[in-house]
Amino acid sequence: MDKITLEVLRSGKKRTSYELKYRKGMTVLDALVEVREKQDSSLAYRHSCRMGICGSCGMNIQGVPRLACQTQVSTLGKETVKVEPLHGMRVIRDLVVDIDPFLTMHTSVKPYLIRENPSERDNSDREYRVLSEEVGRFLQFDFCIMCGLCYSACPTIALDPDYLGPQAIAQAYRYMADPRDEGWEERVELLDRPHGVWRCHVAGSCSFVCPKDVDPAKAIQLARVEVLKKRFLRKKPRAGSPLVSLVPVVAPKQGTKAPPFDFRKGEAK
Amino acid sequence: MAEVIDHDIIIVGSGLAGLRAAAEVMAASQGKGPTLAIISKLALMRSHSVAAEGGTAAVLYPEEGDSLELHAWDTIKGSDFLADQDSVWKFVTLCPEEMRQLERWGMPWSRREDGRIAQRPFGGHSYDRATFAQDKVGFFEMRTLYDKLQEYDGWSRYDETFVTSLVVEGGAFRGCTAIDMKTGRFVYFRARACVIATGGAGQIWKFTATSVSTTGDGIGLAYRAGLPIEDMEFMQFHPTGLIPTGILITEGARGEGGYLLNSKGERFMERYAPSKMELSPRDVVSRSIMREIAEGRGFKDEDSGLSYVRLDLRHLGREKIDSKLPFIKELSMKFVGIDPVEDPIPIKPTAHYTMGGVCVNDSGRVLDADSRQVKGLWAAGETACVSIHGANRLGSNSTAECLVYGRLVGRDVVRYLASEGTGPRDVVSPQVAKEETRIFDGLMKKETPSEDVYAIKAKLKEVMDRSVYVFREEAALTDAVREVRALKERFKGVRATDAGRQFNYNLQDVLEVDVMLDLAEVVALGALNRRESRGGHSRVDYPQRDDKAWLRHTIASRAESGPQFSFWPVRITMWKPVERKY
Amino acid sequence: MTKNPRFRSGLLASLVPFGFNVERWSYVLHRASGVILIGYLAAHLFETFQLSMGQGAWANTMATLHSLGPLEMVGLWIVAGSALYHGANGIRLVLNEMFGMLMGRPIMPVYPYSPTSLGRNQKLAVWATTAVVLVLWLWAGLYLLAGLGVV
Repeated sequence: MDKITLEVLRSGKKRTSYELKYRKGMTVLDALVEVREKQDSSLAYRHSCRMGICGSCGMNIQGVPRLACQTQVSTLGKETVKVEPLHGMRVIRDLVVDIDPFLTMHTSVKPYLIRENPSERDNSDREYRVLSEEVGRFLQFDFCIMCGLCYSACPTIALDPDYLGPQAIAQAYRYMADPRDEGWEERVELLDRPHGVWRCHVAGSCSFVCPKDVDPAKAIQLARVEVLKKRFLRKKPRAGSPLVSLVPVVAPKQGTKAPPFDFRKGEAK
Repeated sequence: MAEVIDHDIIIVGSGLAGLRAAAEVMAASQGKGPTLAIISKLALMRSHSVAAEGGTAAVLYPEEGDSLELHAWDTIKGSDFLADQDSVWKFVTLCPEEMRQLERWGMPWSRREDGRIAQRPFGGHSYDRATFAQDKVGFFEMRTLYDKLQEYDGWSRYDETFVTSLVVEGGAFRGCTAIDMKTGRFVYFRARACVIATGGAGQIWKFTATSVSTTGDGIGLAYRAGLPIEDMEFMQFHPTGLIPTGILITEGARGEGGYLLNSKGERFMERYAPSKMELSPRDVVSRSIMREIAEGRGFKDEDSGLSYVRLDLRHLGREKIDSKLPFIKELSMKFVGIDPVEDPIPIKPTAHYTMGGVCVNDSGRVLDADSRQVKGLWAAGETACVSIHGANRLGSNSTAECLVYGRLVGRDVVRYLASEGTGPRDVVSPQVAKEETRIFDGLMKKETPSEDVYAIKAKLKEVMDRSVYVFREEAALTDAVREVRALKERFKGVRATDAGRQFNYNLQDVLEVDVMLDLAEVVALGALNRRESRGGHSRVDYPQRDDKAWLRHTIASRAESGPQFSFWPVRITMWKPVERKY
Repeated sequence: MTKNPRFRSGLLASLVPFGFNVERWSYVLHRASGVILIGYLAAHLFETFQLSMGQGAWANTMATLHSLGPLEMVGLWIVAGSALYHGANGIRLVLNEMFGMLMGRPIMPVYPYSPTSLGRNQKLAVWATTAVVLVLWLWAGLYLLAGLGVV
């Protein structure tokens, strides 16, 4: 194809079409940038890294939420590309939506490491011993770039804006599954609520659209199992992993001159 | 009329350095202390720091053969002896604590067999000290710091607020003006302390690994406030940038054993750095690649017209790539359709890291042209130039610098306010009204502009890519200076063509290009003046390093007729400069 | 807030499965079949209650039903299908939600991405339940629609 039409539903109301010449490897973001730079400088959309790691450019392309920087026009297979703002959120302007409710939900699940003794976490010079298999239990859920695509795709969010959302629950589970975390009880409490984990009905669209394979649907069901464990089995959480005691690194006070050192010996390695 | 917002501390920029400083301020003040605001022109998790891939250097295992002296020596030699050696020593002593602190805050570092934090080899380091988390170390560090900040209540976030100018009067920081993108309002942040942590200026070039947001805002803020900026001509060109976008392929790929091949299939690094080969410092590898291409042993991409060489990871095997370099595989498959297990990846040096920046001392306090501390102003991370990286930065040292300096600055700010006092000041500087007029009556004036800001931006990037790239020489640099000055003249006719109030990205683009032009002029002039080759600055006409005349930092200050240059000495406290061979 | 409601939210938006995964389609069908079953439950309770209201009321109810003609049996056939689908899919959902089964374990994502919760086991369950439901539904149709002359 040598020409494409970008049809943008600006602010969710006005449908505007832009004609562009197609270049090999063109992504939807490339098309939007070309529109703003050459045709219509008032087209507002978010973007930053253009490599699918910052999560700014989430928008609804051909009916499904995607990252514009990762969506090749050629894979969409059509000459008209329909772009809309992310569904389920308030539109501020053109393709820019309000992600504050999404961010607030994330903060509300206490997404940080909780230890019974906070000074162990903040004022110590030792490290936790964690085996690779134990990291593997939560690592997948830590890949979340907070793009909001899962939140936008979730049918429960469309119905119920007070629902925590797949991203928040997945992040709560990420910390529950972290062997260094001791906040299992608190998090189960936060999830075991009317608008918490019970509102998920496994539509799976969150995992379907996630650009980083965080698989929030899996995280939510695993979190639900934890909540059930607490409710029915009264199961106690497993103990957090121990601190490794090791010899602190020899760090001279700031300002002391370095001891004499033969750099040739270092270079011989 | 500008709305006035009062906070005790403001942090401009929310990358690694900014978030680390914020975490330190909140931890040090235990929520009972000064009010903190984090201002960023993006949402907080979108900063370019998330794209950092390879690793963070630290001496975690001195009992296994590593040492602080070795790390310091590697850094200083890597900087081509332009680094200030006492600052480097302070830096290397504080790195290990940072790694362990992040780990206790939940960072998912990759682990060794025994459950302790793993490290891998990296370019320029003579010991395997790059602490890594698969190949997304910057992303995980940002996640950990952002999550840590969610624990505290007493801070405000101003997402998508574009800071347009710094108000510095009487040698002290007063506040900064900004535009709130969500509403289009003009805002004045009045504060007692400010940390600038906005990152580098990679977007001046066209073929760059940096985000679209990396336009040198913070460096421009200091420069326009009359503060000096240091060593801007030293730009690091990371050897492996994906064709045709410039997206970064981490040095960790070479650290895990990748080869660089030319069109003859040879590992050409043998000719330039026989002992370290592909793991030489980045400037050495970049120059080698450009030389191979210049001598006709590169490939050419038909669609973009760019020449390249190849990064071969096939011999690493699927398992190693999937476990240690998964992000590289994703980028390569997503953007060029190449699976690194089957085919080599096309790469070329890409503009990556700004060694230069705002002049600071080794506590992060901003200095003015007479080397005096500016009261209440700090800079940290890539924006600052301490200088730790000198003429060339070693890989994995930048994330370490952001963390170490984020912490030092955070602590220093709290200490400063403990003696200085908190609470709002009364006066609103007249500069605020002047800035408002410049933007809203000037750049946003409703008239047809005589120049197109995007055409100017494209031309600037083209000029920089052509003349101020890996190899530089007098005629091309003189041309570059002339063209940048012409573009600055043309910029006077630019107006914002979008009249909207909310999310006026066109206005933001105009303000960014304004700063980019200023910085490009400093870079090009600095490169023209420096008649030697050192680190990331290679002059074809002056190929040798000249310690007698040029072992000094370039300091640029703004004046009516353009940047004024002066020089500061390099602080040499440990090792005298020697020949830099790998 | 009322002037700027969330874009494409609400009941209709939550039930649009176009372009999404097959589990989203089964979510919509589960909701639809649930609504049909609740409607049927109410109607059935009302109808059976008429038995206690005397011969006349019962005869009237039966007459109303039979006056629908073929719609009566087709309606019952749809209700039968809803019950079959809602029950079978419901078992799959119980496995997912209560036991965390068919979801896969946490893995290290490898590009090209394929989430395990929508992977082989889940798809097997979806298609197996669909197959079983279809077979039983068509078989039910043989009985319910016999008198219509269609089958």
